[in-house]
Amino acid sequence: MKDVIPIQTNNTETIAVSKNSKNIYQQAIDTFSNFCRARSLFVLHYCTGCGAIELPPAMTSRFDMERLGIQPMVTPRQADILLITGYVSIKTLKRVILTYEQMQGPKYVIGICSCTVNGGMYWQSYATAKVLSEYLPVDMYIAGCMPRPEAVLTGLQQLMKKIEKGEANSWENYFKRYDYYLGNQQHLFGDTWHTPTDILEEARHYHLYGAESTGNNTARLIKYTVEHDLTKLDAPLREKDSMTKRGKK
Amino acid sequence: MVWDQDKEATKDNYASQTIVLDQILHELDTLNIEQKNNQRFRVDVSAEALPALLSLLKGRAGYTQLSAISCVDWEDEFELVYHLWSYETKVLVSAHIRIQYTPAVYVSVYDIYTPAGFFERDIYEMYGVYFEGSPMMEKFILTEWHGPAPMLKSFDTLKYVNDMFNWQEYQPDWLKEIQAKGGKVVS
Repeated sequence: MKDVIPIQTNNTETIAVSKNSKNIYQQAIDTFSNFCRARSLFVLHYCTGCGAIELPPAMTSRFDMERLGIQPMVTPRQADILLITGYVSIKTLKRVILTYEQMQGPKYVIGICSCTVNGGMYWQSYATAKVLSEYLPVDMYIAGCMPRPEAVLTGLQQLMKKIEKGEANSWENYFKRYDYYLGNQQHLFGDTWHTPTDILEEARHYHLYGAESTGNNTARLIKYTVEHDLTKLDAPLREKDSMTKRGKK
Repeated sequence: MVWDQDKEATKDNYASQTIVLDQILHELDTLNIEQKNNQRFRVDVSAEALPALLSLLKGRAGYTQLSAISCVDWEDEFELVYHLWSYETKVLVSAHIRIQYTPAVYVSVYDIYTPAGFFERDIYEMYGVYFEGSPMMEKFILTEWHGPAPMLKSFDTLKYVNDMFNWQEYQPDWLKEIQAKGGKVVS
C-alpha cells in the first residue's frame, strides 16, 4: 500500500457550465442523486493486461468491493465505470473506444497500471497506445505495476468522493472536446476511423455541444461518412421493419 | 527397480539414436551435426537440403513433431531454425539454415509437417519472409498493422514510438500535493 498511490489525472479541465442558474430545489435533487450515484457503481472491467489479476481479490471476500456499492457489470450499456486494467494495444484501443461510446452518461474511466499512464514497461513498443487520456477522458489513474487491491479500492473511493461532490465530469469533455479526441484517434487508426455512434448528435442530446466539439477532424469524419453513405446504413433494416408491420395490419 | 530399468532403456535409446541419425545424415552432404548433450542435436544444413532432411527425420527416425520454426534476422541474411522432437527417444533436433535477405523467400514444409503453416504465417508477418506453398500467408495477429515487418532489425521501434506518441509529465503538481499529504513516490 505504501509503494503505490492512486494518482488523479490532470485532465480535469472542464468548460464552465451554468450551474448557478439552478434553484435550490434542483440543487438539492442534484446533491441527492450524486449521493446515490456514488453508492451504486457498476464496473465494466475491460481486462486488457496483467492488472486484471488484482480485480478478483478486490471483488471477492478478501477486500470486498461490494461493501462500497461497487459491483461488476457485464454490458457497457449498464455500466458506470470502465476499468482499463493494463496496456492497451492499438487494436484493443479501437474496441475500448467502441465500448466507451456505448456507455450511457454519466460514465467514468479509470486507468489502472502504469501502462495506461505512459505505456509502462511497453513504452517502447510499436503496438501499444501510451497515454490513455489522449483518446478517452480518464477520470483517474491508479499507477503501479500492478497496483494492489488496496490501491484499487482507494482509487475507487476517491472517485466516489469526486462523484458525490459533482466533480467527476470528465465524461462531458468527450462531447465538448470531441474534435481533440477524434484527432488523436485518427492519428493512430487512420483517416477512415469511424464508429457506429454519432457523438455529435449525442452531444446535442446532452446539451454539451460546444465550440470545440467540431473542427478539422470531425469535418474529415463527416466527409468520410457522407462519401461512404454510412448515415443510411440502417435504412434498409428500418424499411424492412416498417413493411412487416404493415403486412401484419 | 523399474525406474532403473527405464533409465537403462533410455540410455540405449540415446546410443541407438546417434547411430540412426548418423546413418540418415550421411545420406545428405552439406551438413554439419553437433551433439550438444544427450537430448539435443544441432544440425546445420544448406537451405536446399532441408526438406529432404525433414522428410528423412520424420519418416525414418520418428521425429513426428515440429515444435517451432524460429527466425533470426542477421541483417544480411535470415536464419531459420526448425525444432524437431521425437517422442520415442525424447531427443530434440534443431535444424539451422540460412537464406538470403532480399528477396526473403523460402519453401514451405507444410506438406511434411502441417503445423508449419502457422509458424510460417507468423514469420511472414513478423519478418516478411515469404514461404512458397504455405496454405495461408495472410495477417495473423497484426491484422490492423500496415507498417514494415516489426521484428526486423531495420525497423527502429524507438524512432517510430517517438514519432507516433506523446508522453505525459511524470512530476506534475498534483503528485506533489499527494506527497505533501504523506503519499510516497517510488523513483
